[in-house]
Amino acid sequence: MYHHGSEEIFVIDSHVHLWDASEKNIIHEGGEQFIQCFYDYHTSFTPEELQWDIDEYRQYGSERMLEDLFGNAAADMAIFQPTYLTDFYDEGFNTTEQNAELAMDYPDRFVLNGTFDPRDGEEGLEYLEELDETYDLQGVKLYTAEWRGDSKGWRLDSEEAFRFLEKCAELGIENVHPHKGPTIRPLNRDAFDVKDVDDAASSFPDLNFVVEHVGLPRLDDFCWIAGQEPNVYGGLAVAAPFAQNRPGKFSEIMSELLWWLGEDRVLFGSDYALWNPDWLVEEVIEAELTPEDRAEYGVEWDLETKRKVMGENAAELYDIDIEAKKRAFRDDEITETFELADHYAGGEPAAAD
Amino acid sequence: MASNSSTPHDASNGPDRATVCDRLRRVTDPELDRSIVELEYVDEIEIDGPRVTVRFTLPTAWCSPAFAWMMATEARDAVEALSNVETVEIVLQEHLHETEINRGVNERRSFEASFPDADGGIEDVRAQLDEKARVARQYDAIEALLGVGLEPARIVSLRRRDVECDKSAGVAAVELSDRGFTATAPIEPIESYLEKARETGVGTHPDDILFRTPEGEPIDPDDFELVHRRGRLAQVNMSGQGGICDALNESRRARFEGDD
Repeated sequence: MYHHGSEEIFVIDSHVHLWDASEKNIIHEGGEQFIQCFYDYHTSFTPEELQWDIDEYRQYGSERMLEDLFGNAAADMAIFQPTYLTDFYDEGFNTTEQNAELAMDYPDRFVLNGTFDPRDGEEGLEYLEELDETYDLQGVKLYTAEWRGDSKGWRLDSEEAFRFLEKCAELGIENVHPHKGPTIRPLNRDAFDVKDVDDAASSFPDLNFVVEHVGLPRLDDFCWIAGQEPNVYGGLAVAAPFAQNRPGKFSEIMSELLWWLGEDRVLFGSDYALWNPDWLVEEVIEAELTPEDRAEYGVEWDLETKRKVMGENAAELYDIDIEAKKRAFRDDEITETFELADHYAGGEPAAAD
Repeated sequence: MASNSSTPHDASNGPDRATVCDRLRRVTDPELDRSIVELEYVDEIEIDGPRVTVRFTLPTAWCSPAFAWMMATEARDAVEALSNVETVEIVLQEHLHETEINRGVNERRSFEASFPDADGGIEDVRAQLDEKARVARQYDAIEALLGVGLEPARIVSLRRRDVECDKSAGVAAVELSDRGFTATAPIEPIESYLEKARETGVGTHPDDILFRTPEGEPIDPDDFELVHRRGRLAQVNMSGQGGICDALNESRRARFEGDD
């Protein structure tokens, strides 16, 4: 939990990965370009003294991940968002199965999302069912710009994609997280497009569509769609680290999001290991909107809004009882490993007293 | 460099650096709607009589090839339009697709021929980005008009013929009504809007309604506020993306320097 003055903010990092971009796992030049591209983003938006070197960035492993997420209690929980990229990486870049190794060890701390790719047809539907059976999914991460054979991507409003969304609805997988942000080599004009979310969201009103990276560089299209579709949310991954070295732009983007979507539909995510919550959470919570933006937009980045964006909104989508979690975290394994008992003991009186 | 020969070339034979630079200043990064000179993409301008070479680098090696292509072709055409320039060579540096782009642009091949696996024409992408740039510029133009007291109802009804830019006076004269009263507004945001509007086919006829929704429709007076907010949103999007490019550029240049 983040201690904001005397107040506590429960943090659910809604976008994390456990990836493997080691050289032995790369089977296509796209794989090397992809991780280099990530690394460019990492170095550009991470304070110099906190930047990783490229080798540790390729593959950091479970232990380091736990430490980065929970070591200083920056995050209380995290949601795994898989990115398969199996044309680029032999074993996949960041698959549900890879993420599961850690998520299954700490089920109270992690939510594990699955994925689907409509280009996989019947086999893909079966795979989705299988994932759901194994892991009881509540969400899927979708990567519409993924290369597969000759295909350079797919659309969420296609007939094939709708079959998969129907399957999600049927299985009770309510949260759909399409990546709509920067792509590696956006030759394809569809890669600029967030508009396919519109049709999907209005066709599946019972599903929630969390647009990751708030559509940047298509924030305008994203906000316009989200303004009309109440089941469209914005994931802050990529926008969040602006707080650190582009605070004026962070203020503008956050003001737009709060104006168009309101405080209930924006979710914090670090995009770990693109950026590290152990410093990012503080930067975002301590960020301020400029007086000009507050006056122009009439929105506030106040305690109540921060609580929602940093945790409560994700808790709502994933049926997480924050108070119950706080009690459970007083003495769970993570708390013992990182000696956080005092941290979680504070705030509210113990229930047994 | 070609120009370091023992007999300095005759300057009257070709353009000077300032003129070339001024031309390049008009070329924009289509996604950010900002000049490539202002964004410091241009590394070097070599002038050898009537032959000009422009070298430029983008914020990343993986910047959209379509955008790189647009900037390269526009830079080529802008410099080539100078009467004392015979040939222009554009050299995009440090990019994953520099070979295809430099060859394509300098040999005047089409984008589609240079990138056979690209899906969708470059003109569509260009048109979408131009439209976003128009909407963003519209925000400043409307702010300027609101600033000199125009009512929203009048702003949405303005036609091209109602606005006259007077460069010598540095103002834009705007007809307030049919009764011949005019208001004067700062020329810069109005002129900048008219330029981009023209490129998107708005305001090419005197009777054209000047300000439009992002979908290109005239603005319903009841929707004025909402459409105006969308203009601001388009600006924030560009400025946000500009922040990403700018941060990537900064760290890349720092790395180049570190490598030297």
